[in-house]
Amino acid sequence: MRRLTFLAAAGALLAGATACGRDEVAHYRVPKEAPSSEPAARPAAFAANARPSGALPPPPVPAGSSALTWTLPTGWTQEAGGSAMRYATLRAPVPGKIDVSVTVLPGDAGGELANVNRWRNQIGLPPVDAAGLQSARKPMRTQAGTLSLYDFTSDGAEKRRLVAGLALVDGNSWFVKMTGEAGAVGQARADFLRLVESLRREAVQ
Amino acid sequence: MKRFSDLVWDVITSLKLTIACLLTLMVLVVACTIAQVYLGTWGAVEIFMYRWLVWLHLPGTDWSIPVLPGGALVFAVLLANLIAAQVRRLEWSWKKSGIWIAHLGLVLLITGGFVTSRAQRETQLAIEEGQTVNFVESPREMELALIDRTDPAYDDVYSIPALSLAGRDAVAIPGTPVVLRVRGYFRNCDLSPRQEGEGPSLATQGVGVTTTVVPQPPVSRDEEINRSAAFVEPLVAGQSMGTWLVSNGLGKDQAFSAGGRTYSILMRNLREYLPYAVTLKRFRHDVYQGTDIPLNFSSLVRIDNPSRGESRDVLIYMNQPLRYEGKTFYQASFGKNDTLSVLQVVQNPGWLMPYIACVLVVLGLLVQFGISFRRAMLAQVARDSAAEEAAKAAAPRKVWR
Repeated sequence: MRRLTFLAAAGALLAGATACGRDEVAHYRVPKEAPSSEPAARPAAFAANARPSGALPPPPVPAGSSALTWTLPTGWTQEAGGSAMRYATLRAPVPGKIDVSVTVLPGDAGGELANVNRWRNQIGLPPVDAAGLQSARKPMRTQAGTLSLYDFTSDGAEKRRLVAGLALVDGNSWFVKMTGEAGAVGQARADFLRLVESLRREAVQ
Repeated sequence: MKRFSDLVWDVITSLKLTIACLLTLMVLVVACTIAQVYLGTWGAVEIFMYRWLVWLHLPGTDWSIPVLPGGALVFAVLLANLIAAQVRRLEWSWKKSGIWIAHLGLVLLITGGFVTSRAQRETQLAIEEGQTVNFVESPREMELALIDRTDPAYDDVYSIPALSLAGRDAVAIPGTPVVLRVRGYFRNCDLSPRQEGEGPSLATQGVGVTTTVVPQPPVSRDEEINRSAAFVEPLVAGQSMGTWLVSNGLGKDQAFSAGGRTYSILMRNLREYLPYAVTLKRFRHDVYQGTDIPLNFSSLVRIDNPSRGESRDVLIYMNQPLRYEGKTFYQASFGKNDTLSVLQVVQNPGWLMPYIACVLVVLGLLVQFGISFRRAMLAQVARDSAAEEAAKAAAPRKVWR
């Protein structure tokens, strides 16, 4: 009888220990939040993912010497933004489909390997591992620091190509990327590399 | 030959099992400590201490194998062993009352560990000077929130823990005609603009149409937070409102109207609304004069609790938390040029148990020591008396003549 009691108590305890959890729908009726009572931004350690604030992960707008600038090659144009998350959209004077963008994201933006594999996926290439990343990376010195440059071309009849540079400046990841039809990208590549080489910090007034 | 139940009873009450549990715990503590370097405090404790088994993922496969009993299992066995051995071996008498009390303390200590691991909730309250907040947020857990914003005076918030979306097809929102069909859930992911050549997004409404979701392994290090996302299709009275991408990495909530009501849908840090409001009146970050070495961090807050008719100021500073309605508010961090204060908010229904357990163990040992001491003293007195008697008996008698 003593054993039975003991085993029953142990079983109940075990069931109790495993049964906890909050998976159901909770309902709160709360006063409307005034715009000023939006939750405060947190310190960096707590805010790896930004607070809700805009449409897409809002591109931080680095100010002062944390912001980068560059020299446009002859015939190129640029506009600020261009789509959600973009810092700038550039247009190269070459025929064919081509897209050139500058994007800046906080932190390491998921890491270099993840971003490179995302780029490769965009032109239909399989992902690479850390060793593959190392062999594909070409360091390029700029006035803003050393930048990792990648150049990938897809297989198949309609070849697509991507040339992109990635740099970490003051805790922000900067991506300068050119992608499109392989022929058009190849034609604009030299100018693009000159643009990447010209990357530098904004002059602080 | 022994019956099986006798054999089980022998094992469960054996001292060897106690030793085995303690040794396993030592291994777990060492492994957990080392793992904290890679997984962070929270991740390592979750994997090694809070689970029943420690699993090892086999690289290149979808398989995981158990390699160690987890802390939960070891403590459960230890608890069973402690109680069973006590029941079997110790007699129910005043002579053993100290041992009983000390064992009760140990049982309470382990039970307190279970209560903490299962019921403790750690949240944060980030608040700027002059701001009033009536909710706390989990720094790690996310929620899918559907908010009915129709009424001009209040919002009805329906919160579903994001982790519970995994493996669910749909969630019916009680008291509303809304059913949320879950078409995809990612505990952690990267978000980026969709590129030319990518197929159409699963989302048909909102920013998700132009966003690519790249699944990533979940993170657990202290300085990392998962960017969770889900593709959700709200059905209002059976009618689809399109598929929306929600994520704590996205911006403001996205809204739709149906049946004369306006709903917002978003993924955000899991909130718990409080029946009272906290206002930060002043945050102080004092340093030693002439240095940048911190001397003091403190938050002067006002608590407004209409249900108690209470409105009072409280100063929270290092090692002086505010304990209020089952929650403890600790000064944890700060930011925004010392205008933002972050309070760690801990709710642990078993917070007193370790204190009571320690008192019981000490009390039990003292009682047992006292009983043994008294017995030893009495035995000594008896021996002394006997020796005295014997000495008297052996002494030569004087004969008076």
